[in-house]
Amino acid sequence: MRPFRTPYLILSSCLPIAIGILLSCSPSYKQMQSAAADADVLQKFKPNFTVALYNTTVDVMGNHLSGLLLIKKMPDSSTRMVFSNEMGFGFFDFEFKPDGEFKVYSIMKKLNKKSVIKTLQHDFELILMNNLDNSKAVVKTNEGLTYFIFPQTKGYNYYITNQSGDELVRMERASNKKIIVESVMKKYQNGVPDSIGISHKTFEFNIGLKRIEK
Amino acid sequence: MRKTILLLLVLVSGFIVKGQYAGYTAVADLPKFKASFAAAAQKTNSIKADFIQDKNLSMLSEKITSKGNFWFKKDSRVRMEYNQPFKYLMILNKDKAYVKDGAKESKVSTKSNKMFQQINKIMIDCMQGTTLDNTDFKTRVFENKTNALVELTPVAKGMKEMFKSINVIVDKKDFSVVSIQMQELSGDNTIMRFTNKEINAAIPDTLFDIK
Repeated sequence: MRPFRTPYLILSSCLPIAIGILLSCSPSYKQMQSAAADADVLQKFKPNFTVALYNTTVDVMGNHLSGLLLIKKMPDSSTRMVFSNEMGFGFFDFEFKPDGEFKVYSIMKKLNKKSVIKTLQHDFELILMNNLDNSKAVVKTNEGLTYFIFPQTKGYNYYITNQSGDELVRMERASNKKIIVESVMKKYQNGVPDSIGISHKTFEFNIGLKRIEK
Repeated sequence: MRKTILLLLVLVSGFIVKGQYAGYTAVADLPKFKASFAAAAQKTNSIKADFIQDKNLSMLSEKITSKGNFWFKKDSRVRMEYNQPFKYLMILNKDKAYVKDGAKESKVSTKSNKMFQQINKIMIDCMQGTTLDNTDFKTRVFENKTNALVELTPVAKGMKEMFKSINVIVDKKDFSVVSIQMQELSGDNTIMRFTNKEINAAIPDTLFDIK
């Protein structure tokens, strides 16, 4: 048994890492060409949440959660996101300021972990599109798509449009090597997307939002 | 001085309202109330009702209203079907729970899921008239001409993390539940009002089936 064990262990521990590296380096990132485009084109995709209510599902590591997410733009221009279950019990209440400041007003004990809060904060910041500093944007193209890349404290936020800039194809949060989160906002009505999807690529964590009338 | 007195009056009146609820006075004979509540509940084998639920987000000055249908049948069976503005079905059948949101169906054992266990207990206690016996809460009872207000303050750890208090308003005529008000620690609250109540209506057992 012993002669087989060591190589097997090395293989079993290295192979997933090697495959992971190969798979996670998005080929589109490698083949991108520099381009000249104005990041202002993204402003029309920035969701104009006055007050919007979304039927929400969350699937995380085999667990399913559902409820309602209320998004409201406050008089001080901050955006509040309140998630509760169908019976009204609150899961969390977050505040996003236009300058990037973030505040947790309340969160249920089970979710009250630094890693969970950070993940949710970054996921929602990606769709709120609050910090699109044109001076820091890098623009690239590949396969008929335009990539607007915004460096973050850690990694990058990608906003990917079609070539004419009239469709937001998807958004991504990525490290130097791999895509961490992919997100879409579809069927805008009066500046508010009807459907929003957030899908993590490094572990099973998906959020689906479908707008409903209040 | 006048300002100080005024401030004190405002504070004191605030405490009085908080302690006793406007329009309500403490029930003088609690054992008698308990006995009447239990006797009425004994006669209640089923409840069919509609409900309107308002989630009040205090800091956002927003209200989320949802509507649906409610069924209760002894022993320990509840079906809640939200129809507006979303579809959501929850069946509680003894220690099992079934949830359907959209196309997704899930079955949960209330023994292993604390949240469902607590929802189950609150709902069943409210309907079976055993609210006052729930040791997870400290209870106080108030009344006005038509209703009684049962104030439940959580003492159990899990409940304390979820709710500041739960107030159950019952109709003194038949001790059926008029509304359930859940006050969260954040200041937000959810009020569920029951209308078109039919006590002891014929309800098929199949409505509570968890397959």
